[in-house]
Amino acid sequence: MTIDFSFLARYQDALLMGLGMTLRLTLIAFALGIVWGFVLALLRNSSIAPVRWIAAVYVEFFRGTPVLIQIFWIFYCMPIFLGTDLSNFTAAVLCLTLYGGAIMSETFRAGMKSIGREQYDACHALGLSPWTRATRIVLPQATLRSVPVLLSNGIGIFKESSLVSAIGMMELMFIGTTISNRTGRPVEVFTAVALIYFVVAFPLTRLVTWLEKRILKRFAI
Amino acid sequence: MEYEFQFHYILQAWPVLMEGLKVTVQLTVIANIIALTLGFVIALLVLSKYWLLRAPFALMIELFRCTPVLVQILWFFYCVPILFGIYLAPLPMGILALGINLACFNAEAYRAAIQAVPREQLDAGVALGFSPLQRVRYVVFPHAFRAALPVLITNGITLFQQSALVAIVALSDLMYMGRQVATQSYRPIETYTAVALIYFAISFPVSRVAAWVEQRLDAARA
Repeated sequence: MTIDFSFLARYQDALLMGLGMTLRLTLIAFALGIVWGFVLALLRNSSIAPVRWIAAVYVEFFRGTPVLIQIFWIFYCMPIFLGTDLSNFTAAVLCLTLYGGAIMSETFRAGMKSIGREQYDACHALGLSPWTRATRIVLPQATLRSVPVLLSNGIGIFKESSLVSAIGMMELMFIGTTISNRTGRPVEVFTAVALIYFVVAFPLTRLVTWLEKRILKRFAI
Repeated sequence: MEYEFQFHYILQAWPVLMEGLKVTVQLTVIANIIALTLGFVIALLVLSKYWLLRAPFALMIELFRCTPVLVQILWFFYCVPILFGIYLAPLPMGILALGINLACFNAEAYRAAIQAVPREQLDAGVALGFSPLQRVRYVVFPHAFRAALPVLITNGITLFQQSALVAIVALSDLMYMGRQVATQSYRPIETYTAVALIYFAISFPVSRVAAWVEQRLDAARA
């Protein structure tokens, strides 16, 4: 069979719309996930043991199970608990946020761990309160050191967002599959879809590498 | 909430889920074996002196790392038969797709580890009159494999989880069987919870092993 990409021009708008939805899902889940991840990281360092344990179980569970089953669980099971239906958009955002929060909490935790013991001693010597220590010493450094990895986590969410096509969310993957089924030309369609994902994700991975080097150089971490 | 939990459904469906788990484990183990070897070869090629050897494999790594696994799986299932005339049964095709994906991630882990092999060790290899192949076999590989091991194990667990995606192309793995059971019994909560717990029961202990190996390696270095 001959490979001919030209017919895809007709589906340009549909594919772009799909990409738009994918980006929207990614950005919302990324923003919410950062907040949730930071809260989780704080909870995992809590002085109350049960709080630490619950947060740890949560994080391990979301990191230890396939995202696909998390999506099914939220889409099919959550409505039974809540008593109302979830739209597939809400379910998709919720799932990507809960999963993203779990992986990003690990990033924040690593960032917090990397702050040297002597800084805590210095805080003590200067008589800073625990609150001042957390907000003025730990938080700014931990966040700065986490930036490149957080961005990688964001790229991860962008890729995982393709899974929400399984619950009928009309994002890039779903639209690609639909076009492929309708035209019977999977080679062109799936290659194009893969390239669209690549064109977005690849420059971002370069940005991560560049940021890593810059932060390393500037702050000599 | 008016939902009555009926976990005996899970007991009934247990043999079916185990059938699925067998496929999932098969996929994971064989794909890992492929990726552990192929990944090392790709890493060597990417580190080659010759641009012509380096470029295609560097591109391959980036392509696989920067696109969703789901797209890759669909691509393998629909496009490989048409483009290359290779017709495989679903299971080998799933293994091929996941194996090559993982090989690219492992290649990155190996590459960092190979670059960290001390220069003197290679010089010693030359001084002892090793052929290039012997140097790779006896000097580079043992070093690189040890250093990369924690990342290789973590990648392996990730693949175990990603293998759930083959359910979308109707390969009857744990995820697929779980979905069948959930739809047939109308008990999504019990079924999906059980399936999630099965995945967790396997990946969590292995992730502890990875953490343990990493600690030991750090201790050995210090």
